[in-house]
Amino acid sequence: MTQPHGRSLWKSAQYTLAGGVATGLLTLLCFRLDLGLSVAGPVYLLIVVLQSLTGDFLSAALISGLAAACLDWFFIEPLFTFNIMSPSDALALLSFLLTALVITRLVSRLRVEVRFTKAQKERLDHLYQLSQQLLSLDPEASEETFLEPFRRLFGVTAIATFDGRTGETRTAGSSRNRLAERTRDAYIAGRDSSDGAAGVSVRCLQLGNKVTGAIGFESLVDPEETVGPLAALTSAHLDKTQAFRTASAASAAAQAEVYRSAILDALAHEFKTPLATILAAAGGIREAGSLGPEQMEMADTVESEAERLGRLTSRLLRVARLDREEVRPRLEMLDMHAVVRHMADQYSRRWPDRRISLVEHGEPAEESADPELFRLALSQLLDNACKYSPPGTGIDIELQHDPGGFVVQVSNTGSSIPVSEQRLIFDRFYRGSEAKRHSAGSGLGLYVARKIALAHGGTLYLVPEDAGNPGVTFRLKIPSSPAPAEHAVTAK
Amino acid sequence: MPSPQSKILVVDDEAPLRKALRTSLVASGFAVDEARSGEEALDAVRQKSFDLVLLDINMPGLNGFEVCQRIRLLSPQAGIVMVTVKDFEEDKVRALEAGADDYVTKPFRLRELTARLRAVLRRIKPPETVETVRAGDLEIDCVRRILKRNGEEIHLAPKEFDLLAFMMKHMDAPLRHVTLLHAIWGPEYGNELEYLRAYVRILRKKIEKDPSAPEYILTEPWLGYRFRNPSDPDSSPLPRDDD
Repeated sequence: MTQPHGRSLWKSAQYTLAGGVATGLLTLLCFRLDLGLSVAGPVYLLIVVLQSLTGDFLSAALISGLAAACLDWFFIEPLFTFNIMSPSDALALLSFLLTALVITRLVSRLRVEVRFTKAQKERLDHLYQLSQQLLSLDPEASEETFLEPFRRLFGVTAIATFDGRTGETRTAGSSRNRLAERTRDAYIAGRDSSDGAAGVSVRCLQLGNKVTGAIGFESLVDPEETVGPLAALTSAHLDKTQAFRTASAASAAAQAEVYRSAILDALAHEFKTPLATILAAAGGIREAGSLGPEQMEMADTVESEAERLGRLTSRLLRVARLDREEVRPRLEMLDMHAVVRHMADQYSRRWPDRRISLVEHGEPAEESADPELFRLALSQLLDNACKYSPPGTGIDIELQHDPGGFVVQVSNTGSSIPVSEQRLIFDRFYRGSEAKRHSAGSGLGLYVARKIALAHGGTLYLVPEDAGNPGVTFRLKIPSSPAPAEHAVTAK
Repeated sequence: MPSPQSKILVVDDEAPLRKALRTSLVASGFAVDEARSGEEALDAVRQKSFDLVLLDINMPGLNGFEVCQRIRLLSPQAGIVMVTVKDFEEDKVRALEAGADDYVTKPFRLRELTARLRAVLRRIKPPETVETVRAGDLEIDCVRRILKRNGEEIHLAPKEFDLLAFMMKHMDAPLRHVTLLHAIWGPEYGNELEYLRAYVRILRKKIEKDPSAPEYILTEPWLGYRFRNPSDPDSSPLPRDDD
């Protein structure tokens, strides 16, 4: 710190020399023109004011002293001595000296204030420009680009940020004092740090009360004044970028849903028109007559298979839609036993090499459920049971009915779900290792089936495998809800 | 066989489907004209009179609903059957609102289509005051307000009778919930689906052999009900099991 001090002394000496020369010249002028004390006094005061305005306080004070001395030597009787005869002259000289010193002090302080204000204004200007530039930065631009305006506007030699969320360090400029490490250390310690000797200042970046990262500067001017606002701006900028990324990820997801929906709609039409054509043509062949029994059978096969493909497409689309949309059941009173019995028959016909058995407990009664959705959920369970069990094995359906609601349980043997996958099977798009080996599927079936159960206020879960229950068992529970009262209808 | 030959206009932008329908419908005894778009269909209807129009909903240019409304104005006596896709249930409601007499859902069997077409042809004949309607084992006498199954009287409450009589008079037609509520309960009703469901449940218990697998009163998902005559081979086929 000695160097700047010496430099300012040298500067004061220069100012004093210049002021001294000016004082000498004016003294000569006033003396030759024989201007008395009353004129010379104000002229010296003028010099002191000028000196205060242009030089520093020390030189101005010295010049004030010099001016007082000259005034005494050249203009106060007896001349050419420092003696003063009259008390009024002594008073005049004293008041001159005091006035000069007060002026000097005031003007110097004013100048310091002005300088400070100017610096402050400049800093505000730069901060303003920085915030403008950060605002106009493309949020998708690379992370490093946002450091550049800091360097340009604040003349730092190096700048580093540490992102606590990603653990990434970013730097701009070259540091001689391990700026990046110091920045990271400040984040880890959760404390700001500054090293005047190295010219390094590091601030933690905060969002609310949470420290999200840190920013460090090397050779920043007026670090105490500037680091705070710079860190605040950086926090705000990083937060904005983060918000933008989150929002664009969300809008990309929404866009993907729009595409998905458009594709589903197109599929519905595009698949069904050719199927309609096949069915119309097959029907036409039959109507044209003159078919032998075998040809007739083949026309039947074409019709029934095309129809099946149509139903499969519908079901796939239905599941895909339910995956996307909120499930809103349209409740009706259903005879659950009849519905389950009917589906068991259907699956027995479709899978003749599985032994499908149905056990019913409790009194048959009606429950309110959405018939289409309930069938869809149950068929999902039956499909899985049939698909993943080997031929010749049994599939048990159990229906339990009590006042609290009803439970349908579908079990198959000959396959199992690894413990590691049990938690995942109800996840959207999850397909187990078995599923991938065995058969095609969307990975939506169980997810949608559970969604349907939940929409009815019920549950669907995998019953843990044990000695009494080998294989895979799913249990679908739907609680009773108040039935639409018939007497209310007749009363109306 | 419809006789004399019924004239039908097939409107679809898909050439292969149009061709298959033409061949098959001709083989089934209809006289068939084709239109490739809604605009062509309107031209055809202006020039010639048709008994039936089979109209696809999803076409470039004028869509099926708009064409349906205009055909209703140009040719009020023609029966209109619209072709919908199952996954767009709301299309059925819109089709009926646009003035269609019925709809078929793609993909459909030829027999299902011809059954719908013939049922529409039967219904668009000039209405006569119906006193007695028969369907399967059922016979309803609207004047004496008596329902019989196999000659045995079944007791019905007044609203039950009104509902069944209305449905039997509109045999084979798709009946929207709102239509039924208006007809039986009055114009101020329309949202009280639960009334309708409760009454249909009672009626099914009284007239169906197996109320959980009804043969007479069929549910049209999202739309309403359809009364069917199980002993009529031309009547609407039973809904198929979902695969």
